Amino acid sequence: MNPPNTENIYLPKLAVLDRVVDDIPEVKTFYWRFEDPAEQAKFKHFRPGQFAQVSLFGVGEFPASLPPSPTEEETFFTIRQVGSCTSALHQLKPRDKFAVRGPYGNGFPMEEYEGRNLTFVAGGIGLIPLRSCIVYALQNRAKYGRIQVFYGAKTPGELMYLTDLRAWEKGGAMECHLTVDRAANGWDGHVGVVGSLFKKSGVDMPVDNTTAFVCGPPVMFRFVIKDLLALGFKENHIMSTLERYMKCGVGKCGHCCIGVAYICVDGPVFTYEQIKKLGEDI
Amino acid sequence: MKARLIDSGNVLKIVDLLRARGREVIAPFCGRGRDSYFDTVTDENRAQVRLHLPNPYYPPKRFVFPHIERLMRVHGKNGAMTIEPACEAPPRAIFGIRSCDVAGLWHLDRFYLGRDYRDVYYERRRKNLFLVNMVCTDPAQDIGNDCFCLCADTGPAAREHFDLQLMDLGDGQFMAVAGTAAGEELFSEPIFRKGTGACVERRRAILAEVRKRFGTTTSWFTATVRYVSQGTILEKTWEEIGNRCLECGGCTYVCPACTCFTVSDRQVGPEEVERVRIWDSCGLSGFTRMAGGFNPRRAVHDRRNRRFFRKLAQYFIQRELAVACVGCGRCAAVCHGDIGMPSIVEMIRRAAPEPPKNEPAQH
Ligand SMILES: Cc1cc2nc3c(=O)[nH]c(=O)nc-3n(C[C@H](O)[C@H](O)[C@H](O)COP(=O)(O)OP(=O)(O)OC[C@H]3O[C@@H](n4cnc5c(N)ncnc54)[C@H](O)[C@@H]3O)c2cc1C
Ligand code: SF4
Ligand code: FES
Repeated sequence: MNPPNTENIYLPKLAVLDRVVDDIPEVKTFYWRFEDPAEQAKFKHFRPGQFAQVSLFGVGEFPASLPPSPTEEETFFTIRQVGSCTSALHQLKPRDKFAVRGPYGNGFPMEEYEGRNLTFVAGGIGLIPLRSCIVYALQNRAKYGRIQVFYGAKTPGELMYLTDLRAWEKGGAMECHLTVDRAANGWDGHVGVVGSLFKKSGVDMPVDNTTAFVCGPPVMFRFVIKDLLALGFKENHIMSTLERYMKCGVGKCGHCCIGVAYICVDGPVFTYEQIKKLGEDI
Repeated sequence: MKARLIDSGNVLKIVDLLRARGREVIAPFCGRGRDSYFDTVTDENRAQVRLHLPNPYYPPKRFVFPHIERLMRVHGKNGAMTIEPACEAPPRAIFGIRSCDVAGLWHLDRFYLGRDYRDVYYERRRKNLFLVNMVCTDPAQDIGNDCFCLCADTGPAAREHFDLQLMDLGDGQFMAVAGTAAGEELFSEPIFRKGTGACVERRRAILAEVRKRFGTTTSWFTATVRYVSQGTILEKTWEEIGNRCLECGGCTYVCPACTCFTVSDRQVGPEEVERVRIWDSCGLSGFTRMAGGFNPRRAVHDRRNRRFFRKLAQYFIQRELAVACVGCGRCAAVCHGDIGMPSIVEMIRRAAPEPPKNEPAQH
């Protein structure tokens, strides 16, 4: 749940870095916990799809998705190094301190999808915000129908969470279909844009009673939406998370406002139907 | 609401009373020419406080939402790091705040204290703020060419959200109206005396007259709100507006109803960092730029569009109970491209709109 509203919404709490794991080039996963166990316990009630504000004092603060599912033990971020704050985080070593506040945003309404098939479509680091949702669904396996992941990256070396994906696939709890734009070093899998996986032979994609989750760069998003609509997906059964430059995360600074929505409080999760009605290009 | 009379010569004693109650009192002063500004009243400048003068361009919102505000200080490095929230909310009063600016503060209240989260920095300052509203009655001094509070329904006399309201009755007396218990408490002071029915009548007559003395600036929000909300304004109209924007951000900084800010960290000592928030403007090109240089609002007119969409869309009006414009006319006065609120409203109203889009454009 969101923090009680008497709290100082801008005040982050100290966190300690436990370990850092390389994922793909420029992207690392940072396992951390709050210094104060009470904060950690409070924070653990986040929902899949929510995000947190990460502080590197002296450099700044930035929004980061919560890739773990609340059902998992550890809390972590997976961060691509793009600028000053993300670089500062990348330089931290285990036991170093930084600060976190949150969780923020609406998150995915996981209860609403119960009894439905879940289809995840991700491009590049778009898998980060969907990871939480996938793990949550797998850990509540009986509540959901078929679970499929379609995931694409530029090259095989840029496919992230690969060990996780392989592990989840084992035992048949979900199907995972991977693709790359350019094959390299022995890749014998599919080559092509993510949408091309939908029609690959051997792929049987349910449409009825299915919710699709789409996350990735804007170009990929536009093409995948087109494909899904053509397959017969309803606009209100296509979910996505939007990303905007954010400063506060709590609906006050104005930076993330698109059309009538403040992404940080009204989102970041929206249905495609809502995205179309925001009144501004995404 | 209780009302009292006070002699013109005693009006500044209200400032003294508030100071004696431990408040820092902010009041308007005249600079050179048309210039006027809010400043803290001291023993030295008290005599220069003006009752009738042009409303300062630099709005009083900075007393609840400073242009730079410290949010926290962080001491130490990795080993022993502490985060200490900053909190400066001295008991203050603004003497002589105009009705439009009172409405502006109310707008900020709904924004910063409404919805999911309350902004505690704003809240602390706001709770400690006492408002002495001055009704604009002098057409030569108080009312500017660009004022259109009549269109925004915020003035010339605020109906609520002040602690005390003063109005010059023009006969050597002011009428004081209490809007809160804290305002009413002042009436126990001997400078106030009971009013008469004739004074109430006189107040009404003056207001009726003042309403006729406004200039030609008007802002017909209704049609524009409809076009903005329906998304039927032609791209060409936004472009024309955008072409006139110099991207100085001035309109947002002078606006008593604009709320945007950015956050920045600065090193203040060898092992000390402070985090501040700073007024920001949706008109500036960096406002929405994202990682990788992608900027969803690339063109100037997209950003101009943003400011007016945010202020005029039906969705926000319903949520915030009013357009996010209080009719103070400041943006009209400071804009070099003449695209303040009244001009925009007029340009949009006059341009032929597109037929309503029932189906939003396909992506
Ligand atoms: C809800 C949400 C969830 C996110 N989740 C993740 C995640 O899980 N992993 C991840 O790697 N990234 C994530 N991002 C993107 C991440 O926030 C930005 O990459 C980060 O803020 C860049 O900060 P910086 O200081 O390193 O870059 P800067 O040095 O500030 O700037 C580098 C570039 O990034 C832009 N930028 C700065 N701040 C932001 C911002 N908040 N959003 C977008 N662009 C920005 C700048 O304008 C500039 O072009 C998320 C963003 C949002 C809004
Ligand atoms: S939009 Fe312009 S006229 Fe309206 S409140 Fe803001 S500065 Fe004043
Ligand atoms: S990030 Fe500040 S309003 Fe959304």
